[in-house]
Parts: sequence; structure tokens; C-alpha cells
Amino acid sequence: MNTTFWKYLRHHGQPFIGLLLILILGTVLSPHATDGTIVFLSPGNLTDVLLQQSEIGIIALAMTFVIIGAGIDLSVGSVLALSACVSALFMMVWNPHGPLVVQVGLAIGAALAGGALIGALNGLVITRIHLQPFVMTLATMIGVRGFTKWLTGNVNVDLAFGANPSGRFAELFSSKPFAISLWIGLAIIAHLILTRTVYGRYLRAIGENERAAAYTGLPVAGVRLAAYVGCGALAALAGLIHAARSHQGNPNDGVGYELDAIAAVVIGGTALAGGRGSIIGTVTGTLVLGLLTNVLRLHMVDSNLELMIKAVIIIAAVWLQRRSTGVHGDL
Amino acid sequence: MLECRNLHKHYGGVIALKGVSWSLRPGEVHALCGENGAGKSTLAKILCGITAASDGEVILDGKPVKWSGPHEARQAGLGIILQELDLFAHLSIAENLALGNDRLEGSAWISPAVLHEKVRPLLQDVGLDLDPSLPLGQLSVSQWQLVAIARVLGLNAKVVFMDEPTSALTNDAVERLFGLIRRLKERGVAIVYVSHKMDEIFRICDRVSVMRDGEMIKTTACAETTIDEVIQQMVGRAVAATRREKISVTEKKLFEAREISTRKLGHVSFKLAPGEILGVAGLVGSGRSEIGRALFGLSPIIEGLMTIEGHAYLPRNPHDAVRHGIALVPEDRQREGLISGMSIGQNTTLASLSTYSRGGWIDREGESAAAAKVLASCRTKFAAQELPVRSLSGGNQQKVLIGKWLLTQPRICFFDDPTRGIDIGAKDDIYRLVSDLAGKGLGVIWVSSELPELLANAHRILVLHEGLCLGILDAATATQEDIMRLATGHRL
Repeated sequence: MNTTFWKYLRHHGQPFIGLLLILILGTVLSPHATDGTIVFLSPGNLTDVLLQQSEIGIIALAMTFVIIGAGIDLSVGSVLALSACVSALFMMVWNPHGPLVVQVGLAIGAALAGGALIGALNGLVITRIHLQPFVMTLATMIGVRGFTKWLTGNVNVDLAFGANPSGRFAELFSSKPFAISLWIGLAIIAHLILTRTVYGRYLRAIGENERAAAYTGLPVAGVRLAAYVGCGALAALAGLIHAARSHQGNPNDGVGYELDAIAAVVIGGTALAGGRGSIIGTVTGTLVLGLLTNVLRLHMVDSNLELMIKAVIIIAAVWLQRRSTGVHGDL
Repeated sequence: MLECRNLHKHYGGVIALKGVSWSLRPGEVHALCGENGAGKSTLAKILCGITAASDGEVILDGKPVKWSGPHEARQAGLGIILQELDLFAHLSIAENLALGNDRLEGSAWISPAVLHEKVRPLLQDVGLDLDPSLPLGQLSVSQWQLVAIARVLGLNAKVVFMDEPTSALTNDAVERLFGLIRRLKERGVAIVYVSHKMDEIFRICDRVSVMRDGEMIKTTACAETTIDEVIQQMVGRAVAATRREKISVTEKKLFEAREISTRKLGHVSFKLAPGEILGVAGLVGSGRSEIGRALFGLSPIIEGLMTIEGHAYLPRNPHDAVRHGIALVPEDRQREGLISGMSIGQNTTLASLSTYSRGGWIDREGESAAAAKVLASCRTKFAAQELPVRSLSGGNQQKVLIGKWLLTQPRICFFDDPTRGIDIGAKDDIYRLVSDLAGKGLGVIWVSSELPELLANAHRILVLHEGLCLGILDAATATQEDIMRLATGHRL
């Protein structure tokens, strides 16, 4: 057990080292509260980071699956906005009749179904018509954004407060325990699916060598389709948290989320070429990005500088991984 | 004028040439022939600077030369028309002809009008009446081949290598090519004609050199030899001891193909009995892999019918074929067989994973036990199942792929040249494995480039030529010469 742990760390340790470095950096550089405690390490601060990262974190889980299957999904940011707006519209404008639980349930169900549907559309076009994943999901990214704006008339849909459906919904989905445990729970499930199930094995085989996988008789199209459906559904789930946290459905939100999610996946050691990657890496990558932002914000560092530092981190992380796995020497 | 002495070439552990010495006279048409993998293309590529020899020397006009690359060889007047055409589909005919040709490219700026005027005579030479501005992608394969020839002509080459130039040509294009070869010869250009088409060789060549297993067997004047003699020199290997088991002649049919046609096969019919090993012989491109692709749902069947145990069988995709008990060990291990980043064990169980899983969850212990058992029965040598499959030798990788299919408990196995590029010991293991499979009542279809291997192991041998089945021979009485004659398009 112990030796396997070290072996794992040696092969997949890069993101952990990054995480450790940022934790140390954050602790050393952190401002101190008036009572002398380190602000960065306070439970409130750390759980703030987790809550902030839960949206990107959940999307990144599904993105890991898509990328391991040698695909990409650029539409997640738009799907997040669609989901936030659909759920808000359901609760605030369309007002279906019924008890509170039913109203909230319908809103959630419709949002998730919408996300899964767009994922299915992506997956079907990619696997049946063989459009490149980049092109297809770029198209849905644009199209879904337009649809969301049309649906809302390009106006924010504000949620209400108090003991009404939308108030209760916002209270629940924006609460730290709920959002964080949702993310962590999904991460554990995703990890198990990837490492312990037939589906995970098939996905990695297809991502690494689609032709050989097809020649082995694997259901290539179905496996890839499922990854896109999952990605759409989880982006929609992130959209629910987003709506709750911002207390509104904003059709212009979520722009650039796809790139943040991809960055987290890549920092976590998943190869964009497909076949190789881990959920543990992705979660670590998401935390690295979140903690970095946090460290810099605690110091009031200019957010433009923050972006530049992130760029350096992405390049450094991927370069270090290539060195340790020897990928660059394979050609 | 062009000569080589004692050339050696090996790719990793695979030896392609062993001590080849050969010479070419000015103005002659010289045929290089041999079976697949005899070393013809390798020799041509070394002489033209495309690959470097491991050892030995190349002499041009009395002076030893060492090419830094194909460009230098081209400057010295050696042009080659490759089998895998090195042209660019997105560029126009004229641009393709000008690429790498200093005379046509002239300066850094190319005026299309001037270039088109310059290339017209070249196109007329090969009988192509086309607008030079057409992108190559719009041309047929045959026209494409003629552009490749025109490109070499544009170099004013002293020596032209043609590697299977007629394989993609229509009949009248072949005639035009032969006319062109005669004209080139009159201009004093020497032509090296790599081919296995005997009738063509005897029509236009002056001398013929036969290669076999990386060695130069003999060079003779065409006038002094016969097709039969050349075929004999090509195959001339000792036939290994027979190992196939006698199959009881039953009327039982496991599989039958009735007049099946695909894009590359025309009306091929054959039957397969349980326990039978049906060998498939044919040159590369004869459609021998296509039989497997049809069987495995990779190539759509245009016409005809396949049956398994009397039931009609029409696979929609490989997934469907596997469910019907078909297994296919592909020709290209790296691209079509292995998931090279995965472990040995995971590659072995990939096709039968659902057997060791419950509700989608993999039973890891059951999985590794099954893999261990089948890998042992295939005599695979490996240190640990967890190691990446790419760490294995070619022979052991092939055993992993065979093991993968054994775990699916197939009824029919298609092996596509399973012993290519692997060492003798591993070959023997694979022969034994295949016979064992047949002994258990499976039907085996076995494509091979090595005729002795088929003669020793198969019960019957189906010979393909350009997508047509020219005969099914009884392996007990057939000879290598018979097969080679059919494979090169001559009836018995």
C-alpha cells in the first residue's frame, strides 16, 4: 500500500507539488488578522476557495472525461448560463403550480436535462457526422449563448429571497456544505468510474488509439457520446450553483469558463491528446488555480497580473509533466 | 554507372538487406523483383538517398557517394517514383512538379503563367492533357501516378527508379508508360523497374535482378531466362515441416462467403469448415486484408452473402462482429492492435472486459487471473502485467493480441500476417497456437506473406490477385510456384 502510494506520487505527483508550493507560498505571504492568526489558513478562507472553485471544479471533472476520450467541449460556459437562466425562469417567470419541492425540482430537472441534451447533440454530431469536437462545440458554444439570450430577452432574471421556491433553491445551492460536498462527491464517483469501471477503461482505450479500440470491437461512438452527455449535464449542474451564488440567471455569465476548466484539467496532468489523465489531478489543478487567485487577492494584487501568473503556471505545469513522463522524447 | 557493394540495412532488430551488391548500366531497363519484404524498395530508397544504409557503399560513375538526403541524390540525377506517392493533394499540378526542382522554381517568386508554360511539355510527355493549375486532389489515382512520373522527368534524371509504377494505372496508361520508358531509354536514361508483375518485366526490361529475404539472388538478361525461372528464384525457400492436423472431412460448414464483393474485392467465394485453417496468399494490395475487413464489419459488403453456421451474417461494425464470435488480429499491430500506453494485462482483457465485470464494475482480481492464464498459454514472456505493453518485443506484443481474442472465445479467427517482423522463436509459438485453435474446432483464416508458412500450416490456400480469387489450392499438393503464379495474375 505504502509503496504503491509513493509510486503513484512519483508518476502523478507534479500537480501535488504545485499544490504544496502554493499552500506554502500562501501561508508565508498571508496577511495576519488582528489576533495574529494566518488569514490564508483560516477555515473560512479555505472553504471560500472551495466554494468559489466548485463550479469550475464540477465542469472540470466532466471535461477530464471528454479530454481523455480525445475530445474537447467548448460549450460548457454557455451551457452553464443556459442552465442558470432556465432554472431562474422556471422559478420566477413560468411559475409551475405545485408544492415548493415540485417547483424547485422541475427547475433543476429542466436545467439538467437541457444541459444533457446539448451534450447529446455535441456527442451525436461528433460521433456520427465526424465533425471535429473543437468545431462542433465551438458552434454550440455560440449557438447556446444566443439561445439563452433570446430566452431571457438578454435580461438578468433575479431570484427572490425568503421562503419561496427560488429563495430556498438559492439558499441550498449556494451553501458551502452543499456545493462543496457535491463537488467532492462527484469527484469521488468520477474517479471510481474512470479507474474501476468498464466504461473508464474503454474511454481511455478509445482516447489513446481510437482505431485499435474499434478493431477490438469496443462501442466507440456510444462511449464518446456518453462523455459529452455527462459534460453537458455537469455544466448544467455547475450552472445551478452559479445561479444560486449570484442570485440570478444571467445570460452573459460563464464566458471563458470552458478555458478555466480546460486549464485545470491540463494542470492536473491529463493529456490533451487523449488516453491519459486522472480525476485526482484535475481536482488538484482546480485547487491550484483557486488558491493562486486567493493568495493574490489577499494581497490585493492586480487581477491582470493574476492572469499573467496563471499563464506561467499552466506552461510550467505541463512542461514539468512532459519532462517526468518523457512524452516529448517519444517522437 | 550506378553500383552498390555489400549494402546492409537493419531497422532496429529487423534485417532488411544483408550484403547486397548490384550494378546498373547506362540506358538499360533493369527489373528488381522479389516477394513482399524481399528488400526491393529498401534498396531503391538507399540508392536514392531516402534512407541511409547501415553498411556498404554506393558508387555513381565510378565515385563513391554518400547522400545527405534525397535532394542531393536528385541533384546528381537520381529520380525516384515511390509506391506511396509523395505528392501534395492541395497543390496544383504545376506546383507539385516545381517542388524541389530548382530549374522550375527558378527564383523565390514564381509566376503561375510562366510555370504553366514550363510544365506543359512534361505533362505532354506522360500523356496528361490537363490544366496545370488543377489541384492534384481532383485527379484520379492513375493521373496522380502520371504526375509523379512527370515530376521525375522534370529533373532531367540520369537514373529513374519506378517502384511498382503500374499498380495504380489503367491499361492504356500502362501502355503510355511503356512508350515513355522506351523513349527515355533512347535518351540514355537508365530505369530501375521495381515490380512483381512478370509479364510487364519481360515486355520492357533488359535485365532482371531477383531479391529474396534481403539478399540479391541473381541478375540475368531477360532474353536468357523465363518467367518460371524467375518465380522459382523469388520463392526458393525451403518448405518447413508440415504441422497441420488432418481434419476429418465433414460436410459441416462453419462459415461461407458466397460471391462477396466490397470496394476492393470482386465476387469472392469460399467455405470454412470447423477446425480448418484457410490460408490467404496474395501480394500487398491484392485485397487479402479486405477479406478480414469484410468479415469484421469494417468494409461494407456491396454484393453477396456471408453465413455462419447457416445463418446469414452481415456485420454492421466490429462490435457486432465480435458478438458473432469473430476475432481479427490486424496487420498493423501498433495502429490497429495495441493501446500502447495501457498495461499488458489491460490490453489482454480489453475485448472481453464485460466477462470480468458486474454492473460495469471491473473485478480486478478476476481480470488479472484471466489475463495471466491466457498469456501463459500463449507463452508470452513478460515481467509483470502492470508494465506498459509497448515494453514488449514484437513477438510478445503479437501474443498479447492473440491472447486478447482467445479470451472472447471466438468461433472464427482472422489472422492478418501475424508473423510479420517477429523472430523465429515467436513465429513457432504462433504456428503452434494457431494449430491448437483449429484443433479445438475454430475456423481460422490466415493471411501470410510467407508462402512456406502457409504451405506448412494451412489446409487450403486461397490466392488473390487484384481483388479476385484466382484459385483455392490444396496445401498438401500446392507448390510455392503455383501460388506465386496465381498471385501475379497468371492462371495455372
